[in-house]
Amino acid sequence: MTVPVRIEHLFKTYTRRRLLGKNLEKPVLKDVSLTLEDNHVLGLVGESGCGKSTLCKVLLGIEKPTSGLVEVNGQNVPTLSKSEFKKLRRVLQVVYQDPYSSLDPRMNVRQLLSEPLDIHRLKKDKQERKAFLKELLTAVGLSESQLERYPHEFSGGQRQRICIARALALNPQILVADEPVSALDVSVQAQILNLLKEIKKSRRLSMLFVTHDFAVARFLCDDIAVMYRGRIVERAPAEELFTNPQHPYTEALLSAVPSVHAPRRAVFAGQETPEEHPERESWACPFAARCRYAQPACQTQPFALQEVAPRHACACGVLPFKNHKSKSAV
Amino acid sequence: MNRSDEPILEVRDLHIEFAGEDGPLPVLHGLSYTLPKGRVLAVVGESGSGKTVHALSILRLLPPNARISQGEVRYKGKNLATLGREELRKIRGNKISMIFQDPAASLNPVLTIGQQLTETLLAHRKMSKSAARAKAVKLLEKVGIAGAEKRLNEYPFQFSGGMCQRVMIAMALALEPDVLVADEPTTALDVTVQAQILNLIKQLQKASGMSAVFITHNLAVVAGIADDVLVLYAGMCMEYAPAAELFEHPLHPYTQGLLNSLAPVHEKVDILPVITGHPPLPGKLPPGCPFAPRCPFAKDKCRQVCPPLFEENGRRTRCWLREGK
Repeated sequence: MTVPVRIEHLFKTYTRRRLLGKNLEKPVLKDVSLTLEDNHVLGLVGESGCGKSTLCKVLLGIEKPTSGLVEVNGQNVPTLSKSEFKKLRRVLQVVYQDPYSSLDPRMNVRQLLSEPLDIHRLKKDKQERKAFLKELLTAVGLSESQLERYPHEFSGGQRQRICIARALALNPQILVADEPVSALDVSVQAQILNLLKEIKKSRRLSMLFVTHDFAVARFLCDDIAVMYRGRIVERAPAEELFTNPQHPYTEALLSAVPSVHAPRRAVFAGQETPEEHPERESWACPFAARCRYAQPACQTQPFALQEVAPRHACACGVLPFKNHKSKSAV
Repeated sequence: MNRSDEPILEVRDLHIEFAGEDGPLPVLHGLSYTLPKGRVLAVVGESGSGKTVHALSILRLLPPNARISQGEVRYKGKNLATLGREELRKIRGNKISMIFQDPAASLNPVLTIGQQLTETLLAHRKMSKSAARAKAVKLLEKVGIAGAEKRLNEYPFQFSGGMCQRVMIAMALALEPDVLVADEPTTALDVTVQAQILNLIKQLQKASGMSAVFITHNLAVVAGIADDVLVLYAGMCMEYAPAAELFEHPLHPYTQGLLNSLAPVHEKVDILPVITGHPPLPGKLPPGCPFAPRCPFAKDKCRQVCPPLFEENGRRTRCWLREGK
């Protein structure tokens, strides 16, 4: 059976050409392998600069991978012709982080929502189009009366609803959501998260959900992949990841999440800033410089992702947590 | 916590308005609080609630189209709103300093970190350039930047976002101010860096006995750092309480709604309770309580008359439900 998205051994290196001397190469994605299963939400979590957004761009065909396989519904995205690519857009849609800059301020809601339909020559009948737009707006919690309004007349949360409606206009199977709630206020975040969860169910969507917020990931995601410097360091079903994190980086991230539900935890109890060890930068394990469990083996062994439990893979050979369960992060 | 009697910073009935096309647009409606020495006050609110405007007004950094229409901001008894320019200069950066949201944008990209750090010192203290530089090195070390001596000669683009924010903190703390105003200091940063920066501010604040006003939209951030929390909605204080009590037992329906709508990290939930609707626009406040249209407990009275702040056990809540409690 083909899965919605399969990424295997994906590498992406940005090259800065120089007139003199060698070109500067910046590897951004290093051997990334991921599977997005049908009607699942796969969360991609990591700090800024870890390659989350680049991965989305490669998946969407905006950037070409340096090497590796990027399959959507069994088709290899980088090799698609222009017309095949256009067809792919009906299957694969995207919602971006900033609802302020991702809508054309000179188009009203009707135009914004009609554009994808016009491009793909869908719902051409006037009555049909009208009914469809109404249905679309209702699905994202807006009303028909707002069709003639312009983006500036809406709040941030409403704009994000418009972006979601626009992405849903072509009835896609896969939605890529790149930090869709991080630009929104908390009370509005909750509304949008509920909406995403609901449309995932009602439209049988599969979603790649990029976020840096673990709380958001836990609410929405079925599976989570943690990225660090262009690599996946841990991959597991969401609940498994939260209750039994295996990679030291996942643990560090989880313990750094502030929460009103457990305020004044260890992070604030006078514990010093985690130590950094710049001398370990050259070690084989990319996380060694910040790892509190680093051992001599980490110096030479580049740990690949390996299964530690069914569906749970981790790129740490030391696997300290088997002995450190009591230090579980959350 | 030892409170001293005299407040360091006192905001009294502060009203701020913007000049709009159809007359003034009020954005802050009579905000009052006192900040005792050594306490950290968190001002929490959504975008448009007036929290940043209030922060800017403390040091009179409001944009030209905004003005304080009523009320005062007192620092050790002096009204900052009417202070002369020269006097204000002596306070800015020296007695009260500020950290902004976007560290990369708050640093001058064409000056080295060293130049920017020593500038503050040289402007307010009589010291030689070499002494200022030595002090700058100490400051960078204090905020946890390794190889400080060398890094003084580097430019902001050579620093990461977290590092830039550390530099901003070093700068803000250079003159050992009495009050630190931090406007969303960690919003632009990653969670791990955020935790480091919050720890750092808390440590330095404790060590120096400084007071701080912490502006944020993220309740979770303030849970670990604030002593008191003030919840702002549509330019009004809705609830003011010690942090522990507020998180344990929020009294105002808005605070309750905000806390409920946060996705929890420690458990999986199926649906997030939301506050329906959205905040009123400035100048378009409903006649009664500004939160009434979204409040699940609203009664007729709430829609007609805006409640005052009711006091009980050192907490203040703007809600008719708390009347006579």
